[in-house]
Amino acid sequence: MTVAIVDYGMGNIYSVQSALKFLGCDSICTSNKEEIINADKIILPGVGSFKQAIENIEKLNLIPVLKKAVIENKTPILGICLGMQLLGFSSTEETISKGLGFFPGVVEKFKNNSLKIPHVGFNNITPPHNSILYSNFNNNLDFYFVHSYRMSTDIKKGVAFCNYGEDFVASFEYQNIFGTQFHPEKSQTNGLNLIQNFLNI
Amino acid sequence: MLSRNFRLQKVGDFNWLKKHYNFEKIAFSIDELIILDVSRNNRDIVKFSNVVKEVISNVFIPVSVGGGIRDLNDADLLLKSGADKIVLNSSLNNNNSLVKELVKKYGSQFIVASIDYKIENENFVVYIENGSRKLEISLLDYIENIENLNIGEIYFNSMDKDGTGQGFDIDKVEFILKQITCPLIISGGAGNELHFIEALKHCLIDAVATANLYNFIGDSLPKSREQIIKHNIKIANWI
Repeated sequence: MTVAIVDYGMGNIYSVQSALKFLGCDSICTSNKEEIINADKIILPGVGSFKQAIENIEKLNLIPVLKKAVIENKTPILGICLGMQLLGFSSTEETISKGLGFFPGVVEKFKNNSLKIPHVGFNNITPPHNSILYSNFNNNLDFYFVHSYRMSTDIKKGVAFCNYGEDFVASFEYQNIFGTQFHPEKSQTNGLNLIQNFLNI
Repeated sequence: MLSRNFRLQKVGDFNWLKKHYNFEKIAFSIDELIILDVSRNNRDIVKFSNVVKEVISNVFIPVSVGGGIRDLNDADLLLKSGADKIVLNSSLNNNNSLVKELVKKYGSQFIVASIDYKIENENFVVYIENGSRKLEISLLDYIENIENLNIGEIYFNSMDKDGTGQGFDIDKVEFILKQITCPLIISGGAGNELHFIEALKHCLIDAVATANLYNFIGDSLPKSREQIIKHNIKIANWI
């Protein structure tokens, strides 16, 4: 199996690759069209600003590549943190930017002004029924979050929620499109287990 | 590797660390790891980034790395070596434009602002440059300036308590903690699990840090974590 970690110049690629290596899975960090289209699984990592990220992806001409792989070929994709947000429709970070539009979610700043921002640290989530990502978990569903913007969606099926002043999307599984707001590669055994579940698809 | 004491006790080099501490194991007792290069001379960011890479190759928790970050390239290199956040100290005073650039490029959550302070004649004094240079600004003003730079977290270290194991400096700094609006990690003085528990029960403190316990006492960290959970403090559980 080949896993392509999309390298668009932003994100903790080394950590994601280390986690895959630990799980015995080979991966390539790439922005190459063929490598992404031919991969069995795609991971879209990301740390930083939404606007800058989508600009980088555009500059590398990766939007049609990701559309072909994910929408046409149905290659499973896992977006992590900013990578998850990029899979959504839009974000209001800095200015209104369009996302890849693979999942009907919108990204906005946390509404509750009295809480500390960023939302940082381990927090627990409520998993959806019949989940793939959390299929062999017990009740200890703690994952590591670090973000100032959060996603909301009208979709209920396959969506895990976390609460920080309000409920927001902690993860989604939507056809072949998966995303986690938290960092599974930074969430101890819980995160490794979740990545393994994604690799098992 | 040095313990983070301003009198800098040297406990061993990196090979010693690897031999005596199984980082993969230690990592399962902590929520986050902070690695600081506290060398006073001949800092070598490339060498340091390689050490970081090696230490954390099988560590799956957030890692903050700092010490001697002078420009965007240094931060990029550490990010590529596995750092999730970088810890800035002197730059918060000496190079505000670097802090702003980093916040713009990677977001607030990428920056941990490290503040070292001492109490001198009942005044709170800020130190930078590895605790060697005293600033004239008051601690409260300094914190306000730093928070205006939109950093993600504050790593608040008492130089007086650091390395003593006598407990955190909570009572004296409470009025300062009240001013801090971003997530706060308190550091300096932890000597046993009761110190952690006391601090974590305090509503103004989000996290506790130690360099003392795990460096010098056997399996204290796993045991401390167990005790913290037993005291009904909400910390993460793994499978």
